[in-house]
Amino acid sequence: MKSLHSILPHHTTQNKTDLTIGFIGNPNCGKTTLFNAFTGANLKVANWPGVTVEKVEGAIHSHNRNIRLVDLPGTYSLTSYTMEETVARNFILSGEVDVIINVVDASALERSLYLTLQLLELGKPVVMALNMMDIVLKRGMEIDLHRLPEMLGIPVIPVSARKRMGLDILLHAAIHHQGAKTPDPIIHEHKETFEHKHDHHQEFAMVYSDFIEDKIDQIIPRLQEKYPNLINYRYYAIKTLEGDHEISSKYPIDTQDIFPDGKNFEARIINEKYDFIDDVITEVLVNKERQDKLTEKIDKVFTHPFFGIPAFLAIMAVVFILTFNFGDFIKGFFEIAIDLISTKASDYLSSLNASPMFISLIVEGIIGGVGVVITFLPNLFVLFLALAFLEDTGYMARVAYVMEGIMKKLGLSGRAFIPMILGFGCSVPAIMATRALEHRHDKLKVMLVTPFMSCNARLTIYVLFSEMFFHENAMIVAYSLYLIGIVVALIVCFILKFLDRKGSLTNYLLIELPAYKLPDLHTVSIYVWDKLKDYLSKAGTTIFVMTLAVWALLHFGSNGFTLSMSDSFGAVVGQALSPLFAPLGLGFWQIVLALIAGIVAKEVVVSSMAILFSVVNANSDVGMQIFAEQLQSIGFNSLNAYCLMVFCLLYIPCVATLATVKKESGSFAYVALSASFQLVTAYVITFIIYNTAGTLFL
Amino acid sequence: MLLSQMEKRQHCLICKLNLEESLAHRLEALGMTEHSKLEVVNRKGKGTLIIKLRGSQYALGEDITKNIEVEKI
Repeated sequence: MKSLHSILPHHTTQNKTDLTIGFIGNPNCGKTTLFNAFTGANLKVANWPGVTVEKVEGAIHSHNRNIRLVDLPGTYSLTSYTMEETVARNFILSGEVDVIINVVDASALERSLYLTLQLLELGKPVVMALNMMDIVLKRGMEIDLHRLPEMLGIPVIPVSARKRMGLDILLHAAIHHQGAKTPDPIIHEHKETFEHKHDHHQEFAMVYSDFIEDKIDQIIPRLQEKYPNLINYRYYAIKTLEGDHEISSKYPIDTQDIFPDGKNFEARIINEKYDFIDDVITEVLVNKERQDKLTEKIDKVFTHPFFGIPAFLAIMAVVFILTFNFGDFIKGFFEIAIDLISTKASDYLSSLNASPMFISLIVEGIIGGVGVVITFLPNLFVLFLALAFLEDTGYMARVAYVMEGIMKKLGLSGRAFIPMILGFGCSVPAIMATRALEHRHDKLKVMLVTPFMSCNARLTIYVLFSEMFFHENAMIVAYSLYLIGIVVALIVCFILKFLDRKGSLTNYLLIELPAYKLPDLHTVSIYVWDKLKDYLSKAGTTIFVMTLAVWALLHFGSNGFTLSMSDSFGAVVGQALSPLFAPLGLGFWQIVLALIAGIVAKEVVVSSMAILFSVVNANSDVGMQIFAEQLQSIGFNSLNAYCLMVFCLLYIPCVATLATVKKESGSFAYVALSASFQLVTAYVITFIIYNTAGTLFL
Repeated sequence: MLLSQMEKRQHCLICKLNLEESLAHRLEALGMTEHSKLEVVNRKGKGTLIIKLRGSQYALGEDITKNIEVEKI
């Protein structure tokens, strides 16, 4: 960061905030990259009060001021159709924000101006950050930076978030615009003369046709009379004319004569805004038809009607190969460390004459159990990195297009595949991503099948068991599990579509395909670090507590502490339930117990099995050998291992996922229903595999 | 004719959006206003398109494109 400003730590709340700046812009405009460039990783993420919309805040100190930065949701407009838009515009209208920085992708200037015009109508000081100027130059497009501010009446600052250029100038402009009551001088050229009563052209960048301005003039006095405490009546008048749901219900007025056909003028107002945008673009943008050659070339393959899907499958295969190979390489070092720690701890505690129970608790319970979970961090790091990379380059949007054909046959839009892709990282953010789906029954459908997309926690189970029992074929086996998950999900969707005839027209695909760009390493690393922190704190709390609970269950029986687990309470429970699992090749009490523990978190399946078979550092070569031998000695072979992995793939997801499903669906009944469904599916599929593959391959 | 019938590399002007209000306004907010110009960049199936509109590209599903009336140019 430049020396002009420093980043305030979170906890200096004693420092008064001098200025609050809100960042707003279209999706894919680089707003988050720009925001992060100012705040660093020092972010506070929460939810806007009362809604499931994320609020990101940071604080910096610059030009002798304490500045609070708020990142608003990426949006194309400010209607009241979605929660994100309503939250953004109400925040801007509240007294809380002093200046708005409208982040605009300079290479998508035309469409971006629509949001800009809406922002100007809110009446708060706006500064435009014209981002990605380097891309514009490279393409051979030019933007008249002298005329654009004159036509909009706001400062326009060219920046490149990625190259960290223009940032101080932008901040400086925002600070100086605090408290601006009127726009900067507006200089248009007009094609017609307006004979309107009021010449608004010096007051407002966006002036409508006489027809609309007349109606605005009719509405304003009515609003003033009924609601004398509003600021910026013009805004409320325009919203009323658009038939905006929120404004019309909050501030209703008599509109019978305003809407002669009973229809609002939203379409007309949008059209007139774009007429003005056409004028601005003609005036300001040179060579606007220049396209991104690289994007065109790449998309020839990735959006090819025939090659699109194979390309996607190939990319996913590369991701998994990297996850296994590179991840394993780093993992080797972690294993050595864990080994060292557990040996040292065991020796030290013995030298202190600590009780066997205590030694077992520390070495097997704590170090053994949790240690295994942590050794998977390298694999997860690579997986998260790959997913972030794909998202940031813009490829994920192409996935929605490529999958649209198949998704439609399943009664979902291509867009629904994105939550499912996220499910490969973790079901929790994947289920949160179903918010992007408009209709409730689509959301519910996707939430039901997303857990079948094998998450990173289940990966820990596959990595262990496929390497233990399938050696050189480990990768293929693991990949096959991912495929089974996808296939089961698709079949379930298909069946649901068949059962739910009325749903189809409400699923539609509408997604922007941004130009491909190199991922911004700063943004990607913040995202990956965030996800790893999440995973670690999960390991630190839930899994830790559960590992200890399972350890206790396995080391205490009717006779108190026991080193022999077959005497424990856990064994009793496992033995009682194991006959139920015998038809699946999983009729072993240790396995059953681990599966029950796995409802808390899937990683616990691995850590509790490590405890059950007294294997420390199960992920190392030596550990795996011991583990495999232990399992084989009770009759648990490769087929059983495969069935275990299939069952883990499909059955009840972890509590974190269940809690998220409850939050997004708002219904406990739905959580119970989906969990039961997943359990039954797991049972049926594993049953089939155990009984058919058994005869086919053995 | 309908947008879903347009072929790759063809251009057209938007005539009418026969869609429910909120979806129509969503598209209009992106610039799909009456008489706006649009190019079909790619297509698959019976009308899933990638279009170029006002300098940006979008993927549109068949359920949308078969309800948009256009004039080929």
